[in-house]
Amino acid sequence: MINDWIAAKGLHRGNQRMMPEGLRRELEAQIKEADHPRECVVDVMYALQKHYGYLSDDAVLEVASLLGMTPLEVDELATFYDFIYREPVGKYVIHACDGVVCWMLGEESVLEYLCRKLGVAVGETTADGLFTVLPTVCIGCCDHAPAVLVNGRFYGSLNPERIDAMMEELRRVPSPLVVDR
Amino acid sequence: MPKLVIDSQEIVVPSGTKVIDAAERLGIMIPRFCYHPALGSLGACRVCAVKFEEGPVRGLEMSCMVEAKDGMVVSTTDREAVDFRKYIIEWLMINHPLDCPVCDEGGHCLLQDETVSGGHGIRRYRGRKRTYEDQDLGPFVQHEMNRCIHCWRCRRFYQEFSGYRDLGAMQIGNRTYFGRSCSGALESPFSGNLIDVCPTGVFTDKPARYKGRRWDFERAPTLCLHCSLGCNITGSARYREVVRVEARHHPNVNGYFVCDRGRFGFAYANHPERPRRARIKGKEVSWDRAIAYTAGQWSALQNRAGNSAIACLGSPRNSLETQAALARFCELLGLSDPGFLLDRDLERRVKTAVSKLDERVAISMREIEESDFILTVGVDPIHEAPMLALAMRQAYRKGGSVAILDPRPVSLPFEFHHFPVAIAEMDLCLNAIIKASLPASVLENLTQEAQGFYRDVVDRNAGPTAFQEREILLGRKLMESRRPVIVCGTDMVDQAMPSLAGNHALLLRSAAKKTGLFYVLPGPNAFGAALVSSCREYEPVLDRIEKGEIHALVIVEADPFGAAMEQDRWSRALETLELIVTLDYLPSPSVTEAHVVFPTRTVFEASGSSFINQEGRIQFSSPLHCGGSPVSQVSKGSHPPRIHLDQVPGGEARSPAEILSELSSVISGKEQKMEVRDLWAWLAGAAPAFKKLSGSISRNEGFRLLPDRQREADFSDALAQRIDHGDKEQIELLLVERTFGTEELSSYSQFAREAEEPPWLTMNPRDADRLGFAQGGRVSIRVKGILVDVRLQVIDAVAPGVMVLPRHRGIPWQKFETPRVRVSVDRIKRLP
Amino acid sequence: MSMSVKVLLKNARPDRPATFEEYCRSGGYQALREAVKTMAPRDVIRQVNDSGLRGRGGAGFPAALKWGGIPEGAPFPRYVVANTDEMEPGTFKDRVLVGTDPHMVIEGTILAAFAVSAQKGVFFIRPSYEMDARLLERELQVARAAGYLGKNILGSDFSFDLVVHRSGGRYICGEATAQVNAIMGNRPHPIKGGPRMAEQGLWSRPTLVNNVETLACVPHILTQGADWFKSLAKTETGAGTKLYGVSGKVKHPGCFELPMGTRLSEIIEEAAGGMMRGSEFKALLPGGASTAFMPKQYYDLEMDFEPLKKCGHRLGTGSIVVFDHQTCLVAAALNLTEFFVRESCGLCTPCREGLPQIRDLLWRIENGQGREEFIPMLREMTGHMGHAYCAFAPGAAEPVEGLLRYFEEEVREHISQRKCPFREHGTDHAQARH
Repeated sequence: MINDWIAAKGLHRGNQRMMPEGLRRELEAQIKEADHPRECVVDVMYALQKHYGYLSDDAVLEVASLLGMTPLEVDELATFYDFIYREPVGKYVIHACDGVVCWMLGEESVLEYLCRKLGVAVGETTADGLFTVLPTVCIGCCDHAPAVLVNGRFYGSLNPERIDAMMEELRRVPSPLVVDR
Repeated sequence: MPKLVIDSQEIVVPSGTKVIDAAERLGIMIPRFCYHPALGSLGACRVCAVKFEEGPVRGLEMSCMVEAKDGMVVSTTDREAVDFRKYIIEWLMINHPLDCPVCDEGGHCLLQDETVSGGHGIRRYRGRKRTYEDQDLGPFVQHEMNRCIHCWRCRRFYQEFSGYRDLGAMQIGNRTYFGRSCSGALESPFSGNLIDVCPTGVFTDKPARYKGRRWDFERAPTLCLHCSLGCNITGSARYREVVRVEARHHPNVNGYFVCDRGRFGFAYANHPERPRRARIKGKEVSWDRAIAYTAGQWSALQNRAGNSAIACLGSPRNSLETQAALARFCELLGLSDPGFLLDRDLERRVKTAVSKLDERVAISMREIEESDFILTVGVDPIHEAPMLALAMRQAYRKGGSVAILDPRPVSLPFEFHHFPVAIAEMDLCLNAIIKASLPASVLENLTQEAQGFYRDVVDRNAGPTAFQEREILLGRKLMESRRPVIVCGTDMVDQAMPSLAGNHALLLRSAAKKTGLFYVLPGPNAFGAALVSSCREYEPVLDRIEKGEIHALVIVEADPFGAAMEQDRWSRALETLELIVTLDYLPSPSVTEAHVVFPTRTVFEASGSSFINQEGRIQFSSPLHCGGSPVSQVSKGSHPPRIHLDQVPGGEARSPAEILSELSSVISGKEQKMEVRDLWAWLAGAAPAFKKLSGSISRNEGFRLLPDRQREADFSDALAQRIDHGDKEQIELLLVERTFGTEELSSYSQFAREAEEPPWLTMNPRDADRLGFAQGGRVSIRVKGILVDVRLQVIDAVAPGVMVLPRHRGIPWQKFETPRVRVSVDRIKRLP
Repeated sequence: MSMSVKVLLKNARPDRPATFEEYCRSGGYQALREAVKTMAPRDVIRQVNDSGLRGRGGAGFPAALKWGGIPEGAPFPRYVVANTDEMEPGTFKDRVLVGTDPHMVIEGTILAAFAVSAQKGVFFIRPSYEMDARLLERELQVARAAGYLGKNILGSDFSFDLVVHRSGGRYICGEATAQVNAIMGNRPHPIKGGPRMAEQGLWSRPTLVNNVETLACVPHILTQGADWFKSLAKTETGAGTKLYGVSGKVKHPGCFELPMGTRLSEIIEEAAGGMMRGSEFKALLPGGASTAFMPKQYYDLEMDFEPLKKCGHRLGTGSIVVFDHQTCLVAAALNLTEFFVRESCGLCTPCREGLPQIRDLLWRIENGQGREEFIPMLREMTGHMGHAYCAFAPGAAEPVEGLLRYFEEEVREHISQRKCPFREHGTDHAQARH
């Protein structure tokens, strides 16, 4: 099912069957440290998601093999969580908050503005592979509403100018970011 | 024992009973979806809500989550409860496709029933419904997710109860999806139970799809015949075709479930090439003609060579009525006693097993589930008797330990201790474990006989094996256990093992443990065969044919020319036998080769038959339909032929008892009717175990035909001497059972065949390396002119010095002499 | 205006989190040092009990009662989970707290572990707070290096280590039993009807789950005393200070530390600067999305557990969301319900299927397709949410219940006018996606 969708969308990022040795060893070491290997599953999913860009079907198989789980058991978790992407996403995933506080502040819905500006529907990725727009309630930035979360970083008190400025900045910066405090 | 009031009715229930079950005892079926007696309480669906008016619990609560307690006053009709349940049903129906007209579940759908009982009718919700894409889950289970009400039963059965991990819940909220990671056949051999537990039409019986509505079917309680466990089933037939099998609840045998072999192995009854009419030398003839011909040939032979020239064969798949009738037939006509198991060694093992069972140690599968330590020798549960594996898993879930001593790569859906030990060494391993479980303080207090057994057999032959440390650890665990069970097979074990296992059960019992003994036997009525033929030993028919003693065979529902080993000898025997009369319902080689064929009825058509399962429980089966060819086969898709018969088309088949009765009457010239009543009376005379048959005992759950205590003194059959093992330059080839593809009846079922795996050879990595074989490579084995060409799977869990092949039709297994063959390594070669 | 005592946010800086040194200089880790050297675990529990500390994660359960729930002789290892998974709309106080003074939260967690003799602890943190996850990881290293974590802390026989566990991101993970499932790598459904967390939580061992704000109070209770802590509150029944997150139509949204029981009017007008220009107060949610709308008549209410309970409301997390006269509350209720529908774990029927039906009815009302009979239907449905599997569904029902209780007129106007009366000049993007 998923594979057909990916093929149809032409979004498959080449053959990435094998994760690099270094990453594998690192993950194996981390799993070995844990008292119960399965407690690492979300971290391992995040690590593979970071490497592949999203948690592909192949990545699910790799998570399963690292942890002695079946692909179904991995999918039971991967499809449950909001921040595990089982379908391809852009370099920047813009989680636009559509919670009640962000909703009531600001002239226009941030989500709708983004979709219009980028020319994509909710959940879609721009053609250049840079941005995916997803709704999330609530990202925890209510004191700076309306806000979005982009690859771990908040952009708050948004209006159309600030949103445009944010996109510009993201286009310029070479790699996805989480800013340390 | 708490006493409570439900809807103004008082009831006393055992402590621990949930209110929902207490209500059921009063005949009040509180609506339920997620609650299932085998799966336990979850509290997710909320539809079992009732009002607790008085007592330790008050207010609206879920009756499946609350234990009945003294002084509770419960109302199921309270307005708030009724209103709440009505909303729950309304909510469950919000996304339902309302496709009852095209859904197989209609008519036996719990959702339909509870919707009506909940008082919900017209959908008020006008929003969009969520829909799903379905998956192809293999040949057995149809998947239609739009009907799902998220009761969570499927996941709980599949993962928690049966222990398989390829089906589960994905996504979240009301788009939660129950299925596999991607389309593909379900891995669990118990997957068919999803059909039974699913309260809607999400999981339905694929082979039976669109065959009819529940009320179209002729349904009756019957028994699964595909192994010796005797699981209870309900069969459905329509237009003279057996359409489907469902699990039938038996609290002690199979609980609520059956395995897929039992569920989908029934289609042999609809086989298009089933013998339907009498035949003489392959040509269909009238019944009377066949009888007359047989009688004629018989008399001629009798005059020429005497009664001893005719031998009779039955099999472990005969009903008890058939076996009794055959034995009586032989007695009436002065023939030697019938044989039911062609392999004399196997017969001995089965009889030993049966003789070791008495009411002190015999247990049902229910006790397997409750055991805290299951020590198994020579059984591969998933492949020989799958429901046994399911029962063992329940013991594991409750904290019990399971150990299996077997050379095969046994695999089970839970953690267990596998001792991959060669058959010839299983006794050493078993003795070592039991020895390690009996400290000196306990030994001192055993009975004289037990001590003798311990001293002369157990202690003397306790190892050495390659597993000494593990044996000791396991022995300690056994020491702490309170309800151990010994499970012993009869297929892949040495001659002495059934007796040894039985004696060990007595030994542990003597050590003040409530010990159970459980044998796996080769067929649904092997136990009956052992009892019926208990008085004397079977003389191999082949030997007597080759010596020229036997010139005729009467074969009753057996297949020596197709499903027996030593096929070359049987082929040669074909040439020398003057008369072969086969009574069967299978289109087997023994039917094809017979001179005279009389078609018999399957268990689904017989007028009531009984079978004795491996614990000695006689159970009764009722017929589904009157017999005859399925209408679809007669009419071949068109209108049934417009001819008038005085008999159901293809309906000439009779029960073996009737046929033998007729034959003996014609042959002897005396009227010899064999009614069931007469057979029971005769059986009671033949073997004491059958005395219980004449009493009036409930047939619903069956009952054990076991003595309270065996006649011989305990341990009297203990053998001090061991059997020698062969040389190291040989590898023991084991020809074994598999879940699908080796059991006779199900191998004729078009549905069960779809689950068969191609046969492969399995071998230990050390042996594979030694011989230069690689995983997946082709291997040939050449033994005495028999050539096997097969692919290799290298598996750690195979015992060293052993290789395993299934008794599958893709392998010439029948050509071998026995299921255990020593093969020199130079006879095993790698093929390109 | 009263001088607000800063306890939790005493080390707040405008530009960055407080450092380890800054925390220590302000009295940090003194409580831990004294506890491991001079106190027994039950002494800690007693102090916390006397202080009247109630959980700040929404349920308001007395902390000491929870800690004391671990029976004598319960097996090891034991676990402490610091719940940093706040995800309810309107709630951001934990983010502010952790980002202000990570070591206060760390010390509080270690002290809780000491009190229940736990060996391992976890910060369960949501993906939105990845920055704070990294911050905590860094500062945990610092705490370890200083000897406050690890084997034999400060030479005592108390060993405890604490790590950050990242969530995959779902609101239901904030529920204690679901969080325990999430940590173990299972599907994070809540589990009810089983053994209590204090007896069998993580891997069937005694487990404590507490909100980080609750834990951050503990060092102060120990250093300055239970009585002191209790006296900080403005109400008789309250204790300590509270982080009130204020958002919505106020001039200065933010997180304000004030005495427990401070009046709403004071919080909104003094701390948050009053309503935005052009906005008149209409209603608020006192404790995040799972609480009910409170209209003007409660404007002066003391924001503490008991006072709110008395008038049939809940303090919850004390995260105040303020609505003005131009905001359609039907649309707001619709938005809130949409959140709960999206985050429902799917285990039980009322939540999984009932909330979408409630959402659908609200959508119709908001979009001019409302009917009179929807009102009693909504009342019945929200009433039945109380009998769902866990507390998620009744929480989801509260805003709708509040809407019907206090703003039924507004609902009726939608129905009779066949449109949202606020659409032209009010909050425009009030449509929920289906």
